[in-house]
Amino acid sequence: MSCLDPPINISEHVRHSTRYVGRSLRRREDRRPLTGRARYVADLQLAGMVEAVVVRSTEAHARIVSIDTSEARALDGVVAVFTAADLAEVASFPDYIDYIGPVRQRPLAEDRVRYVGAPYAVVVAADRYVAEDAAALVAVGTVFEPLPAVADIDQALAAGAPKLHDDWADNRSVDIGAERPEITEAFRRADHTFAETFTSQRQTGLPIETRGVVADPSDGVLTVWSSTQSPHMVRSTIALMLGVPEPQVRVVLPTVGGGFGTKTHIYSEDIVVPWAARLLDRPVRWIEDRMENLVASVHARDQRHDVEVAYDDDGTIRAVRCTSILDLGSGEIFMPGTAPVFVTNACITGGYDFPLMETRTVAVVTNKTPAGAYRGFGIPEGALVMERVIDRVARLTGTDRVGLRRRMLLRREQLPYVMHGGGRLDSGSHAESFERALEMAEASLARIREQHADDPDTRVGVGYSNYVEPTSPTYHLTTGHWAGYDASTIRVDPDGSVRVAAGLSAIGQGAETIAAQLAADALGVAADDVTVVLGDTERSPYGLGSWGSRGAMMLTGSVLMASNRLLDKARAIAAHMLEAADEDVVVSDGAFHVVGSEQPSVSWSEVATAAWIRTVDLPPGTEAGLETSGYYDPPYLEHELDASGKINAAASWSNGSHVGIVSVRLSTGEVKIEDYVVVHDCGTVINPQLVDGQIHGGVAQGIAGAMYEHFQYDTETAHPLFASFMDYLVPTSAEVPRLRLDHFESPSPDQPLGVKGCGEGGTIGPPAVVTGAVSDALAEWGVDLTTCPVTPVSVRAALRAAQSRAAAEREQP
Amino acid sequence: MIDTAREADVHVDINGRSHHHRVPVRLLLSDYIRDVVGLTGTHVGCEHGYCGACTVMVNGDAVRSCLMLAVQAHGADVRTVESLTADGTALSPMQQAFHESYALQCGFCTAGFLMTLESVDPDDWRDRTVELLSGNLCRCTGYQNIMAAVERAWGIERAGSRDAAGVGGEAHGDG
Repeated sequence: MSCLDPPINISEHVRHSTRYVGRSLRRREDRRPLTGRARYVADLQLAGMVEAVVVRSTEAHARIVSIDTSEARALDGVVAVFTAADLAEVASFPDYIDYIGPVRQRPLAEDRVRYVGAPYAVVVAADRYVAEDAAALVAVGTVFEPLPAVADIDQALAAGAPKLHDDWADNRSVDIGAERPEITEAFRRADHTFAETFTSQRQTGLPIETRGVVADPSDGVLTVWSSTQSPHMVRSTIALMLGVPEPQVRVVLPTVGGGFGTKTHIYSEDIVVPWAARLLDRPVRWIEDRMENLVASVHARDQRHDVEVAYDDDGTIRAVRCTSILDLGSGEIFMPGTAPVFVTNACITGGYDFPLMETRTVAVVTNKTPAGAYRGFGIPEGALVMERVIDRVARLTGTDRVGLRRRMLLRREQLPYVMHGGGRLDSGSHAESFERALEMAEASLARIREQHADDPDTRVGVGYSNYVEPTSPTYHLTTGHWAGYDASTIRVDPDGSVRVAAGLSAIGQGAETIAAQLAADALGVAADDVTVVLGDTERSPYGLGSWGSRGAMMLTGSVLMASNRLLDKARAIAAHMLEAADEDVVVSDGAFHVVGSEQPSVSWSEVATAAWIRTVDLPPGTEAGLETSGYYDPPYLEHELDASGKINAAASWSNGSHVGIVSVRLSTGEVKIEDYVVVHDCGTVINPQLVDGQIHGGVAQGIAGAMYEHFQYDTETAHPLFASFMDYLVPTSAEVPRLRLDHFESPSPDQPLGVKGCGEGGTIGPPAVVTGAVSDALAEWGVDLTTCPVTPVSVRAALRAAQSRAAAEREQP
Repeated sequence: MIDTAREADVHVDINGRSHHHRVPVRLLLSDYIRDVVGLTGTHVGCEHGYCGACTVMVNGDAVRSCLMLAVQAHGADVRTVESLTADGTALSPMQQAFHESYALQCGFCTAGFLMTLESVDPDDWRDRTVELLSGNLCRCTGYQNIMAAVERAWGIERAGSRDAAGVGGEAHGDG
């Protein structure tokens, strides 16, 4: 438990004075991007600035024999060419997590490359075009000695497999799991068992703005603009690796064109570009292009799940064993990409009351782009497994799919409920959300079935997903270093204007608007009188940034903490000015009043003027100034496993239910999502329009994973079989159906205002829903999908396999 | 050796102002607009003509400025997102609809959508908005509120895809 002083008072104060929380206040962020005036990292122009281009490995696994940079250096306009040898003084990325294999990642690859796209040299030139020419000359001048490559999980685990990291015992970065005697017993007693393997393919977050870094060493401060989700963590890491005192590094977030997890990591360029700027003593800009983005920003998902299920004739699922194996790629990324597979196993049971899980968590390295964070962070993979298992058991036992889910879903009276891995569900509407989603889908399902009833080439199916969404998680399991708080500093200036500076980052989610809504309500001022500062390490308090669906909740906690403290002081000043007792003074509409008195009020401006300027008006013994901070560390959030290996790794847990209806054309395998319903519950909603937007975008990305996006690699050479958006299919408006949303609000009893997160829930459902719906549509042939993406090719293959299986069974009764 | 030196003169009208520069012949129009002219509202998302973030209007047509060389725009009339609020204050009806419908989150793709929409006659595309916008990628909104904004700006009755009971994404009050 951490300190929130005192939580009830803060929440009650806002509840009673609320003017903005709960309303779809229009976003204050909109005008700049709408008019082309937002400043993204690539828009920065600094005097004397030069352009960097990174030279990347064209080999999946190779020794670097030699790099001849002479031709590149000779090119007109080239300022410098750097290889790993030039960065000898720069520290390696830290290996903070002690239970995974250390990768000792260098900022640039030294003698060996482990994936196509690995950075091994940097060219700096007067303009981007020349830098790219020179980079090509460096590539031509590089001699690689290819090594045997590891292209997938099986190859990584094979006996005698080539090792990526020589000092490891094998290619496993982590392998954790324990047998549970009660599971063994449940398997022994069950009527039946089956085993199945499920997979989720390799994808990435793919913000439309790629990454980028601009570094300026002028004026004794190393200023770094980085398109990142966590500027303070970038600052600490730059300071550590370059050996620069932390106050001399300033990291500033420009407007960020989306992150989706990919920008939570700290990449080579975050270190090398500032390093080069210091060395050259001039500003350096590096902007990732899309082709390098596809191999140089983290990938994600790419898991396999070997599952055994014990069940009874009546459909009761007694126990499940699941070995989840993550393909980490080369592992050369900071922070490491191992955490999602732990989350997969921890969250696999979704909104169901299902304690009898036995899990094993494995991550292996391969010669592919390092895997890391992506919206959903392991949860969609597990949701796919659980929903497919339920459907399979229903089919095998002749049990109704919906009825079985109803039997298994958590009911309110079971809350707080502790999941098999220790996740503590403090609130939620697990059963109610499913019922509501079914109700919303009922009429359209009948209509869609009717529409296609006479078409012999089309089948209709429905799929379900009931998930939980851990929000505001610990970062300690992910980073081995940082933990889980975030901070806000609130100042009231002499004119009465409020300034909120927070450690959270604006990455498109509307964090500025949310912060203003919260502060305005907490301080009794108009939202327009609140200025919000995010993502500048010189101007905001240290914080961990925006990831893990934590923005709204961490802002709520920290803004209310800071506001409450500020209000106490302001009220005392106002009371002194009003010659009243502190407890008789209330704040509303931007001013302090004495309760039940006709006496004129004192404005925030008068109070702040007393605090900053006319300190003679302060009560005796009162410190000058009107600025406070709140460091919110959520209660119940745990950072380390307990003795039994369990942890409540998230401060709160949202939930949701998705129901999707598809039509499948038998002749082509084409799948169309005819209707998609989402019922979501993230507790108290601060801004409904923003929550809807998070769900819309999340579901679209979930559909991308369910049906389209797939990083494919050559299975022998581990070379990428993609290079552009022509090979990596990002859904357009033509692929994403109209979504229908509804919400429940089950406030968290343990968090201020009851707010829970909502950033990732949308992505969780679609893989489970689409595989379930297509399997339902093709049930008459026994099709039962176990993998994503569901494409025309995969559907036709599944149908053909099922038809020939059925034919074989007919011949051999 | 690579011939990086070859240059040519370009005269381009951008948002009603004449620009005259001597530029490398290989300079992309997108880079010309952004780095030479200094109008950074046009964004570069993929540089292979797929994502549509860099869409501008050239002689009235929507064009991916990353697929065109600056020298090819010689003599052309180019419009960028900055032209939509020429007086620097009032939003255009479509921009206003984007704001009211919450049709942007990170905003990086927004200029491309706005310029695609600006380049067409609504009457030609009223029934084909999905197709019209399918040339622009957005990663944040799932296109839901972009479609809503276009419907709002063009006065299109929303097809009855929302829940019949009126419960849906728009059931909440607004601010």
